[in-house]
Amino acid sequence: MRKLSLAAALLVGSAITAPVLADGHLQIVEGDPLELTIQMNHARYPVYEEDWPVEQKARELTNIHLKDVTVGANMRTDENTGKTEALNLMLAGGNIPDIVGSSRIKDFVNQYGPEGAFLPLNDLINEHAPNLKAYFETRPEIEAAIKAADGNMYYIPYLPDGKYGRAYWIRTDWLEKLGLEVPQTVEEFEAALRAFKTQDPNGNGEADEVPYFARQWPELIRLVTLWDGRSSGSDTYHDFYVDDGQLRHPYAGEGYREGIKNLARWYAEGLIDAEIFTRGSSARDFLLSENLGGATHDWFASTSGYNKLSSEIDGFEFKAMAPPASISGKRVEEHRRIPIKPDGWAIGGTNEHPVETIKYFDFWFTEEGRRLANFGVEGMHYDMIDGKAIFKQEFLDAGPVNRSLYQVGAQLQGRGYFQDYNYEIQWSNEFALEGIALYDEGDYLIDQFLGVAFNAEEQKVYDRYWGSIRDYMLERQQGWILGNGDVEADWDDYQAQLKKLGLDDVLAVMQSAYDRQYGG
Amino acid sequence: MVQGNTPAPGSAIESVEDTPDTLHDTFTDSRGSRLYDHFKREWQIYVMLLPTIVWFLVFLYKPMYGLQIAFKDYSIFRGVANSPWIGLEHFETLFSNDQFIRAVTNTIKISALNLLFGFPAPIILALMFNEILHATYKKTAQTIVYLPHFISSVIIAGIVITAFSPTAGIVNTIIGWFGLDPVYFLTQPQWFRPIFVGTGIWQEAGFGSIVFLAAIAGVNPSLYESAVVDGANRWQMMWKITIPSILPTILIMLIIRIGNIMEVSFELVILLYHPATYETADVVNTWVYRQGLQSGQYDLAAAAGLFNAVVAFVLVMTANTLSRRFSQTSLW
Amino acid sequence: MSGVNLSGIVKAYGAVEVVHGINLDVAEKEFVVLVGPSGCGKSTTLRMIAGLEEITAGNLMIDGRRMNRIAPKDRDVAMVFQNYALYPHLNVADNMAFGLRIRKMPKAEIATTIADVAEILGLTNYLERRPADLSGGQRQRVAMGRAIVRHPKVFLFDEPLSNLDAKLRTQMRAEIKRLHNRLGVTSIYVTHDQVEAMTLADRIVVMNDGAIEQVGTPMELFNHPANTFVAGFLGSPPMNQMKGVLTEHGAKIGDTEIKFDGFANGQAGRDVIVGIRPEHVTLAAGEQTSALPIELDLVEPLGSEALLHARFGNDNVVFKADTKGDIQHLSGVGEVYVPAPLIKLFDAETGHALNAKG
Repeated sequence: MRKLSLAAALLVGSAITAPVLADGHLQIVEGDPLELTIQMNHARYPVYEEDWPVEQKARELTNIHLKDVTVGANMRTDENTGKTEALNLMLAGGNIPDIVGSSRIKDFVNQYGPEGAFLPLNDLINEHAPNLKAYFETRPEIEAAIKAADGNMYYIPYLPDGKYGRAYWIRTDWLEKLGLEVPQTVEEFEAALRAFKTQDPNGNGEADEVPYFARQWPELIRLVTLWDGRSSGSDTYHDFYVDDGQLRHPYAGEGYREGIKNLARWYAEGLIDAEIFTRGSSARDFLLSENLGGATHDWFASTSGYNKLSSEIDGFEFKAMAPPASISGKRVEEHRRIPIKPDGWAIGGTNEHPVETIKYFDFWFTEEGRRLANFGVEGMHYDMIDGKAIFKQEFLDAGPVNRSLYQVGAQLQGRGYFQDYNYEIQWSNEFALEGIALYDEGDYLIDQFLGVAFNAEEQKVYDRYWGSIRDYMLERQQGWILGNGDVEADWDDYQAQLKKLGLDDVLAVMQSAYDRQYGG
Repeated sequence: MVQGNTPAPGSAIESVEDTPDTLHDTFTDSRGSRLYDHFKREWQIYVMLLPTIVWFLVFLYKPMYGLQIAFKDYSIFRGVANSPWIGLEHFETLFSNDQFIRAVTNTIKISALNLLFGFPAPIILALMFNEILHATYKKTAQTIVYLPHFISSVIIAGIVITAFSPTAGIVNTIIGWFGLDPVYFLTQPQWFRPIFVGTGIWQEAGFGSIVFLAAIAGVNPSLYESAVVDGANRWQMMWKITIPSILPTILIMLIIRIGNIMEVSFELVILLYHPATYETADVVNTWVYRQGLQSGQYDLAAAAGLFNAVVAFVLVMTANTLSRRFSQTSLW
Repeated sequence: MSGVNLSGIVKAYGAVEVVHGINLDVAEKEFVVLVGPSGCGKSTTLRMIAGLEEITAGNLMIDGRRMNRIAPKDRDVAMVFQNYALYPHLNVADNMAFGLRIRKMPKAEIATTIADVAEILGLTNYLERRPADLSGGQRQRVAMGRAIVRHPKVFLFDEPLSNLDAKLRTQMRAEIKRLHNRLGVTSIYVTHDQVEAMTLADRIVVMNDGAIEQVGTPMELFNHPANTFVAGFLGSPPMNQMKGVLTEHGAKIGDTEIKFDGFANGQAGRDVIVGIRPEHVTLAAGEQTSALPIELDLVEPLGSEALLHARFGNDNVVFKADTKGDIQHLSGVGEVYVPAPLIKLFDAETGHALNAKG
């Protein structure tokens, strides 16, 4: 944090169209701008670009200048390490910048914050951040979710907006061709899939249709919800879930057993992609464009886009359908947008301007700041029309909107901000919007488990047992689906083995952490 | 020698005879100055040696300092030095874990299969190349078998997954010709090891044959001519000349290979295995990756790595000793 | 007929012909040496006889059988290689037994054969050693032993002594000669060393540039070289060769006339090359000698003789002279005397001898 020389300040000032400090109500420091160093990492933007228009605008409004000092890069895509590689590198390097923003920052700050690597934010927020304070007052569960085991908050999260993530999708043109209605129950769903397999809806004379497929094989396991089972408690696969204040693991429940038994049957009967475990991320692209795939469970936005295939495949129509009713009649969409992500930013333990920094964080929760984070710069990327931020047409036309926004420094998930779903609606296609409307008609979503922060003892127990348990669960799960063993016959042994591997201990520490965090 | 400076009467003649050397020695003979002379004379050689020494220091010896985290409750923030000692706790964690034991067993089994089938493969290939007389054909064949080595593991895995796919894979297509049902090979635990070892051979046998081809090229051609005149056929020449001549190379490569027995090609396992095949596919490195690194337990990972290194060290020492005793060939 | 016969043997690699049609008859039990500068095709010829190189054209007969398409092992020849070609992983006994085992000779017979041959070669105490533990001469003997145990019709030697030092070479040369006298096997021996050729051969074949220059006994070749090449190749130091012109009574080299009779009649004015062997001159005038004025450069004493390096007109010449125990008297030599009957004449253009059979 060096003070800029006067000359440099003038230079920066002259580069910006509007006069510096023209309207000072968001200004955090007087006079010379304050420079804060930042490390920001995300697979899509490996460093913090100082010439992003959004950063330039933020400088103009707050008089705080972020200087990029990012080391390393989170370029790998594996779930955990890949996303925090740069953080580890930064910490091992010994220099912690004033602000650290990253994907998957939560566990990281909750582990190293109490050791002194990051500043606790509670008092700073209470005293200096009215907007953040107001937000957390309205959303106490968010505040609870980001707390570390010592009760402190160490990061300001990226808070996604909107409810829906994934949905059930089906080839409605095939249904029509075979004279079927959109399935409303698990039995009808099974019948539809079987019809896809046996009645040659793609009309090529071969039974090469793949009735149910998925890009991520756990989306097959998701179907156990059709037998009242659970597959995950959050938007992370294989996660714990909360049942009436009690933490449980979905892969140890009765509904799961029933679901696996039936999914194994579906698999044996060819209703499920034979290569579900190895097809990988290109499954959707390949099976839909080859006119082979019948149904899947995938994201609204990206999946709806495949309807453009209708120009190549006659009649192609891939529409969202409401979750089929389970055997007990419940309609559940287990996946949803989680209200809070483990991504965001934190204040480095050696920051000499914590007050200014928290004020800066607070700025992004002001109306202007939130709009800046969501839509970019007014007049450049969007215009205000009837009090609403509307993207300029040329901006929408310039390619994938998400990417365009990253490129100007907006919608950065390494920044703590509150997303505005309106940004997405403006470029969602009609099939996605139609699907979302369909899901809005019912009340299919269920509560999410927002995670816990362990203390050192709990962490030790969790680390010691959980990896083995998870491996064992997945190993058996795939085995049963593939027919290597029968879930009914193996179930008691399975439960005994889970106990032996320490599932009860893991659940106990989860529970104690949960009780502490969410007030039992 | 220094004594020469004050000659005793009896040694006078000797000192006279030694004059040129003694004079020189009297003034310069200390160990330090001799070393100085040596370096002054041979400094170019040491400059050439320097990069290797630096490489060893920076990439092998310095990291050894970090090995201590295997015995510590390591926190990146606190650093190696400031993390508290916890003794053998990580090793207890490892050996009380059935899956780790299973991973060790799997590692050894896969390595043993690799040794059994993967080690002779490049030798056989090299011998076969050696028998090809047509130069263009030989070069083409060599290039083709070298190629897979230069393909990244990710692509190799893609090829394997495609080849063994139950719906479109070539293997199942062929099985289909015989009227048999397709097999979903990559999810069957009993198929993982054959496929993995086979893939390894396909990828590396060609490139591995280079060292043996070089050894064969080093065999004196008149040995073969002499054998031809003596009436040996090609088969006899291979067994009685080629193989004995490259035996030292084979043994050295074998020792090195044994030293790497705990190092199963980690990326390829990661890319090819699934929970359904953990039973046979999970090796120490993948286990460490999942348990240690994915959850940031560097200390546990270091403990497993140290265990690997110790096992490999013992194995390579044993192999080296045996080889030295029985064939007079050894790494050191 | 027995022995080895080559008729019109040609070797070509693609378009490049390296041996241009060789005709040679080697009689049974004869020791024939192929000698010539490197690259003259002598080794290639030997390897064709062994069967290690294919014969492009011509006929190769061994013991009356045409051998062109016969595999090496069925030609009943044994070969000794320049670098011995010993198997480093086998001991001496196994090295010698190699060919016999390949031929499935009974074990007991192998053992006695090897014992006999080892005895002949003085290797009995070394049978258990590996080649790496032997001296150069011993290795050479093992290589020969390996050939001998086979009892072949023909021995082929490919420069077998060239890896030995000078002293050992002299010694082994004699051993080879004795061995041949004892075993009496047809032998063809390739070398680039004319001393080896002279000492070993029953007959020498001088080769150059893929063709035979001359065939004959060592003394025939020494005394009556068929051309300037042979004259220059055999003998140490080689024959002095000087350009000259025939006159009525001899030949004129520069301003000096050398007199000899009986040849120049009617051919005066013809360009020739005059050849004088270094050892044929004398320091004192005698009968039928011509004086050759020289400018002495250097005297190299060899013991009983000395080499006189000198200039004669535009040519550098070398002569030999007796020292009689002292070289002082040689330092003032201003002319040497050439005896007329020993002068060789060659055609200046073709190099062929003009007075070959004197």
